[in-house]
This record gives sequence, structure tokens and C-alpha cells, in this order.
Amino acid sequence: MEPIIFAFAGKGGVGKTSLSAAFIRALTARFPDKKLLAVDADPAVGLLTALGAEPELTLDDVRMKIAESIDRGDTADAVALLGEARFHLLDCILERGNLSVLAIGRPEAAGCYCKVNAYLKQVLETVAGNYDFVVIDGEAGIEQINRRVMETVTALVLVSDGSRKGVQVIKTICAVASRLMSPKKTGVVFNRVSPAFDPEKIEDLPPVLALIGDDKNQTENDMRGDTVFSLPPDAPVLAGAEKALTTLLEGTPYALI
Amino acid sequence: MRLYDDVLKGLSALLPPAPAFCAAFDPKNAAKDGEKDQILFGSDTAFELGGGGKASVCGVLFADEPQTDEVLLYGPDLCEIRTDSPFAHFTVARLTGETEDAASYEDLQTVGFTVFQVYPEGYHIRVSPSTGRERVRVAKAALRQTPPLSFLNVGTSLIKAFKAHPGVAAVRTVYITDPDVDYMTLADLAARARDITAAVKHTLETGDLDCAACKMKPICDTVEGLRDLHFRKEQKK
Repeated sequence: MEPIIFAFAGKGGVGKTSLSAAFIRALTARFPDKKLLAVDADPAVGLLTALGAEPELTLDDVRMKIAESIDRGDTADAVALLGEARFHLLDCILERGNLSVLAIGRPEAAGCYCKVNAYLKQVLETVAGNYDFVVIDGEAGIEQINRRVMETVTALVLVSDGSRKGVQVIKTICAVASRLMSPKKTGVVFNRVSPAFDPEKIEDLPPVLALIGDDKNQTENDMRGDTVFSLPPDAPVLAGAEKALTTLLEGTPYALI
Repeated sequence: MRLYDDVLKGLSALLPPAPAFCAAFDPKNAAKDGEKDQILFGSDTAFELGGGGKASVCGVLFADEPQTDEVLLYGPDLCEIRTDSPFAHFTVARLTGETEDAASYEDLQTVGFTVFQVYPEGYHIRVSPSTGRERVRVAKAALRQTPPLSFLNVGTSLIKAFKAHPGVAAVRTVYITDPDVDYMTLADLAARARDITAAVKHTLETGDLDCAACKMKPICDTVEGLRDLHFRKEQKK
């Protein structure tokens, strides 16, 4: 069966990573026997912290190893490069039971992330089929959508706070995604919004999956450096993630009966 | 082909006098094919050959032997291994065609890359071309089946893959799991084989006749026949 791939995107600082982590917790709790790959595709590597994971290697480390071997003239042949990439890939995947974690890493060199994003796209195409679910915590903004890193995503989850900027970013992502991706479902989660916030007043939004208010549990958890698994079960961010998950799984073999 | 003779001699000298088994190739013994992109998860893995910081070596060489296809094992077989173990794997291929003919050398690297392109079910191979390491995750399920997966099965799959190349006449695949073998020297031999293959490739791809300025000079200086190959090719032009 094809994996269900969820990708989280939005403006920086809206709680996208916290929601991704909560979503992963919800998935692992609901489907403990299913294989789940969590991909930290944000160079800020916040998802690793939220999950308490530290893989031996990141994708950028692997990309650099391959680039170095090309520079040395060791392995310029495409077949050899593929072999080299496959050799290191398993070392990038940290396994904790049925949950695997993979990180894009933080390229040390200044400049753009095009190469590592291109590599991430290839890796996702290679490994996704080994999992039942893949959750990608994307980079803030639209770069990874533009680069078609998330081309094979099943469900696109746009995350915003109540700010006009946040909403503008998800609208832009939505417009770009409609041209470059074909997710089966797209929805919005509003995070850290006041009780008075009314998404109905915003035009041209994809369906709203959940509204999450200020979550002091999450704030305190972050301050302590604890993982998402330390949050109390009644934390609003977990409730929001559960609600979004239920909606996104409707019509799939994993839908709640 | 004699270019790899020293490597072959070195390999023979390091191995015990008799293998644990030596079996003739029979395609019926091949392992079931797995999927190319299939990952064998840690939780499904019984042990990793060359894993856990243990030695791991992969070498491919070309020679005037073997006369027939065969699988050799030195050390315990898969069903006798319990934990991550040191591991070496050498493949010796005999090519068809005249060894004097430079054209018969052209496919060495392509044929050698076959070791990356075999995917037996329950036997997850990964090879680093740059370091010559080969690590293999072996599935718990593959060892529980009757009969359990063995080196005979995976070696047969590898030989089948090599023989899919029309230029390959015969293949010997040698698996080494004996903990008492000198793996460091095996790694040196595998590196030597890689260097020779790279030098042959360089020789055939470039028209560089200035040996003093060529990065392959240290290899050509010590491998009998390599420089002859190069200049013979140039004379033919």
C-alpha cells in the first residue's frame, strides 16, 4: 500500500514544528504497529529536538561525503554515486521502534539549500515506500514547494497563527502548491489564536482542520527542553493534532470507524 | 588477465587452506529477489555483517580464473552467526575475449558495479564505492525460514547478476566471516583492486602518454601489464 505522506508548511514562528511533533505523537499512539518516518526538512532542525532524536548523520552530511568523494575523483560514475548514497542513507535514519527519524541537517556553508533539497526529494522517493506514514516538517516559506521536494505529498497541512502575514504566507503556499503538487487533501491549522478568532472571516482558505489556542503546556515544555512525548494528554496542541489527523484520514483505510 | 594476480595471490595467502564450503553455481539456489528500495529495519534485523564497527570489505577483481562458477565461504554461515560480525566479500570474474584486447577491459567498472545492484530478499546489501566497505543487514525472518537463507543463496544471486553481463565467462564469489582472518590486509587488497580498476579505466579513457605527470603512475609502476595495456592501445590508434 502506498504510504500516506503529510507535509507541514507555513510561515516561520507559527508553531509548525510543534504541531508536526504533536501530529507524530498522535499517529504513533493511534497506529503503534505502523511504520512512521518523521522527516525534519527544516534546516532549523527543531523537529529533532521536539522528538528527542539525534541521528548519527543528516542528509547534508551524506551529500557532503558524496561531494567530497567526487572532488577526490573517487567515484564520478552515477552508479557508484548511487551506491555511495545508499550506503550512508541507513545511517541517517534513526529508528525508535516503528518511528524513524531523518533530518535534512544544517548546511554549514553559506548560501542556498537547493542541493540538499534536491537530495531530500530523491531520498523521499527512495525510502517512503518502506513506511505506512511519512510526516514532513517543512522549511518555512515556499522554497521546498517550489523545488518540488514535496511533490508526492498526500496531505498538505498549512499552519498559521492569526496574523495577516501568516495567512498571506499560507495563501501563497496554497497557490504555488496547486501548480506544482497534487495533494489529495489540503487543510489549515490555526495555532495560538485567541478565542475570538474567526477563520470564516478570511476569504479563499482551504478547509480549516483545527483551531488551537495559546498552549501554556507547550510553552513550558519548550522552555524545559522536553520532548512532545512529555506533554500532558489534554494539551491543546495534541487535541488540535488529533482533530486534524482524524479529518485528514477520512476516506483512507486508516479512518476511524 | 594478469593485472590482479598479486591481489589474488594475496587473498589466497590470507585465507585458511580450505573453505567451509565450495559449491558449484546452480541457479536454483538463488535467493528470492527483494525490492531495490526496500529497507531492512533495525528491529527486523538479526545482525549486520560488517556492522557495529566491525571490519567490512568488498573487492572485485578480474583474472584468468575461475574456470567454473562457484560460491566459497570461509567462516560461519548466516544461520550460525548471532551478532554483528566482521565481513569480507570478494568477487573474482573471468571475462570472455582475448586478454590482449583492450576492448575486453572496457567493461571492468560496469561489471564491478554489479555488487551494488543485487537485492536478495532479507539480505540488505550496502556498498561504499569510495571506501570499499560492504555492510549487510540480515533479516530475522530470512533466518527463521526453512531452509534458512545462506551464503550459497546470496552468492548464487550475485553470480546470476554478474553473468547477465555478456562479457563475463565465469565468477567466483568468496564470503569471509572467519573472525581470525586478517581483515585489515583484506581491506588493503580490496583497495589495491579498486586502484587497478581505476587505472585501467583511466588508461582507456585518456590519451595521456606522459606517465611522469599522470596520477596513476604509482599504480602502473607496480602492476605488471598495466603500462603495456596503455601503450598498446595508443599504438593501435
